[in-house]
Amino acid sequence: MSEPLLQLEDLVIHIPGRPDGSALRFEVRSGQCWGILGPNGAGKTTLLHTLAGLRAPRSGGVRLNGRKLGGIPRRDVARQTALVFQDHHDGFPATVLETALIGRHPYLRPWDVESADDMAMARAALQQVDLAGLESRLVGTLSGGERQRLAIATALTQDPRLFLLDEPVSHLDLHHQVAVLEIVRKRVSKGCAAVMSLHDVNIAARHCDHVLLLYQDGGARWGPVNEMLQLQVLERLYAQPLVQGEAGGAPVFVPKG
Amino acid sequence: MSGRLATILSVLCLAAAAAIGISLMLGSVPVSPVDVGTVLTGGGDPLHQALVLELRLPRTLAAFATGGLLAVAGALMQVLLRNPLADPYVLGISGGAAVGALLSMLAGLATAVVSGAAFAGALLSTLLVFGLAHGTGSWTPVRLLLTGVVVAAGWGALISFILAVAPGAELPGMLYWLMGDLSHARHPGPAWIVLAIVVLLAWPLGRSLNVLARGALQAAALGVSVRPLEWIVYLLAAVLTATAVTLAGTVGFVGLIVPHMLRLVLGNDQRIILPAAALAGGILLTLADTLSRTVIAPQQLPVGVITALLGVPVFLYLLHRSR
Amino acid sequence: MSLVRFVSTRPGPWLWLLSLLAGSAVLAGGGAAVQAEIRVTDDSHREVRLAEPAHRIVSLSPHLTELLFEVGAGDRIVGTVSFSDHPEAARQIPRVGNAGQLDLERILALQPDLVVAWRSGNPARQVARLEALGLTVYYNEPRRLSDLADTLERLAVLTGSSETGAAQAAQLRERSRKLATRYAHRPAVPLFYQIWDDPLMTVNDQHLIGELIALCGGKNLFGELPALVPRLSREAVLAADPEVIVGGGSGEDNRAWVDGWRRWSGLTAVRRDNLFFIPPSLIQRQTPRILDGAEMLCEYLDEARARRPETAP
Repeated sequence: MSEPLLQLEDLVIHIPGRPDGSALRFEVRSGQCWGILGPNGAGKTTLLHTLAGLRAPRSGGVRLNGRKLGGIPRRDVARQTALVFQDHHDGFPATVLETALIGRHPYLRPWDVESADDMAMARAALQQVDLAGLESRLVGTLSGGERQRLAIATALTQDPRLFLLDEPVSHLDLHHQVAVLEIVRKRVSKGCAAVMSLHDVNIAARHCDHVLLLYQDGGARWGPVNEMLQLQVLERLYAQPLVQGEAGGAPVFVPKG
Repeated sequence: MSGRLATILSVLCLAAAAAIGISLMLGSVPVSPVDVGTVLTGGGDPLHQALVLELRLPRTLAAFATGGLLAVAGALMQVLLRNPLADPYVLGISGGAAVGALLSMLAGLATAVVSGAAFAGALLSTLLVFGLAHGTGSWTPVRLLLTGVVVAAGWGALISFILAVAPGAELPGMLYWLMGDLSHARHPGPAWIVLAIVVLLAWPLGRSLNVLARGALQAAALGVSVRPLEWIVYLLAAVLTATAVTLAGTVGFVGLIVPHMLRLVLGNDQRIILPAAALAGGILLTLADTLSRTVIAPQQLPVGVITALLGVPVFLYLLHRSR
Repeated sequence: MSLVRFVSTRPGPWLWLLSLLAGSAVLAGGGAAVQAEIRVTDDSHREVRLAEPAHRIVSLSPHLTELLFEVGAGDRIVGTVSFSDHPEAARQIPRVGNAGQLDLERILALQPDLVVAWRSGNPARQVARLEALGLTVYYNEPRRLSDLADTLERLAVLTGSSETGAAQAAQLRERSRKLATRYAHRPAVPLFYQIWDDPLMTVNDQHLIGELIALCGGKNLFGELPALVPRLSREAVLAADPEVIVGGGSGEDNRAWVDGWRRWSGLTAVRRDNLFFIPPSLIQRQTPRILDGAEMLCEYLDEARARRPETAP
């Protein structure tokens, strides 16, 4: 069995004003792709930020490659973990290429200037997400889907072992949804791991091998995808009656009504 | 990027030399370029020596340093607060300095004491804002900005109070100080040293600042230790601003406009913007000061008037031209 | 770097040479060379020394320009500041900025051998700079009529016309003495003197105008305030209810400020029509012309006394 990349040790995430949820205790190993499912406000984003070390947990801990997350310098964390945010803030104007290039930041010392190799990595990442040719466009002029793909490209340039993706396909058209998930699948098959929050159960059913269900009341369940994606479990998760079908060998869930 | 940086800095250095040369040549009494050259190489007649070396050179160097300090401070503040409207004075540093300076003028103290009091006031305000913004929780750019703006308003009230009770004879000096006055700046050396040191210290932070400009969370996710970085940036900007204010009072506009002008032309890579701002700010203020003491000579205009008159049209043109 | 070569602040080497040439005189009589030097104490209590009477003077205030003309040294002024408009010839003198903001370059280029400065009216740092550049500076700060006479005498000494200066000073002292004997002991008239309108400003007893008010037998209702030029609220004036309101204006013939008080018809000064205007250049400039203003003021106060009701105590 492959080594554990990420270990959650009785992790309770901190959401101000909410009682403790279930303690999470599982491991994410290289070659695994985890999906986080749950209703709005269940804490999917907070969990991803906690796993990236951006928020302190209420209790419990996280280990990255066997080391306590809090004890690892941020730069080292950023070399092993990339986080793609759900929202993108336009600060000051920047070009597409500059934005992809910041993925190299954790690898460069203060006086270093981006090398030709770094540029090549950024361009290759843009190529993969279908943004080649837009290198000199200002980020502010991109569509929502293009922004999302640019964020994925930045994460690819960062070249981490672990991808943390917050709703990675939510702004994308069907073609680019499949393309992005395919990119993630390839990286995972080469020894990386991915944890992504998803609002679409069917994407999890098709692309993830493990899922974590976060309930509105703070409860949680996790396990292999085929064990977890049961009609009754999901109906309780979303407090919504569902209908189950099948397409292309995978289960499909749609709301009843 | 290195090549581009070298090109940009070379061009700006040439422009800076030209601006300083023009400033040494022009004044109420014209001195020809040849005479300026003679004086700078140790010759010339006593009057030209006095004009160029005693009056113009310290003032020109002070104007250049002040412009550079303010432009770099403005660029740092804008990134720190993630707010394009931020300028070096937004967090009340200038207000604290002004209260220090005006109080010592009110007490009739010597020039050196006025400068010292201004610097002390600036640092006091810096610590006050930082301490208050920290409060019991963590501080965010918005919280820091709000604290700074409110503290600045408090200083503003104190300034008005001092102006109201000040004897008439002190008022013109105080008002010129508040509008920014380079005519008393005699020892620009320390300001140049501060500017050089801060630019050298800030340059290696440039890439981290580029990341920070995209937001604290994004920066943290990319391996930036956000809190220490923000402390350092705030401290550097405060030292720059305090030095500038001590040297020349509150010269407006340079710190807001120069970083934006440069971003519109050069993009937003802080590794280019910071050194370029030191030079471009210096050039703008040197030229503005030259104009302020020549256009309606023998009267002088506050230099802030000229920086605004020069900066506003250029800025609007650049903004209009950009996408 | 210094300007000693053309502006001497202290005995330079050449003065020593002069002493050697006049060596016998030095030995015999205690110093012909020292006699050739002009020494005057200025209002900052510093000794101002010139090797010979000043020929190129820069005056940093309109009142100093006027005083220099009074002692007959008007043609030696090579530069002065804005608003130097009296006498007429003063308008032709090249300008070196205004009293509050000097153009140091121009002053330096004029190569003056004497700069007369107004201590409370010129920026101290700029004047100090001129001194540092090697120029000789005389500081003037007239607070009393007697200071004015002293200033006339000292300026005359510095420009080598002591007799004219002494005569002018004597005339000034005589005129003020006459005014005082005639008016100072008449029944006191409580008054408010307005020197600026917005914000409302007056003077206290330490001010030169305060001295003129006392000279004319007036009682400045705000004379006890600590500031030389106190800022007041209109309410304070209404509460004090002056018998007379005197004021200048924003021009030489603009009564608007004093007439503005007519809206308060309850004021004693308004009921008795005791609103008087004195052209600011006559009374707000520290020159002998101030006595013309003082004469006007004294006559106005007499008019006010005449308008008192018969039954008044």
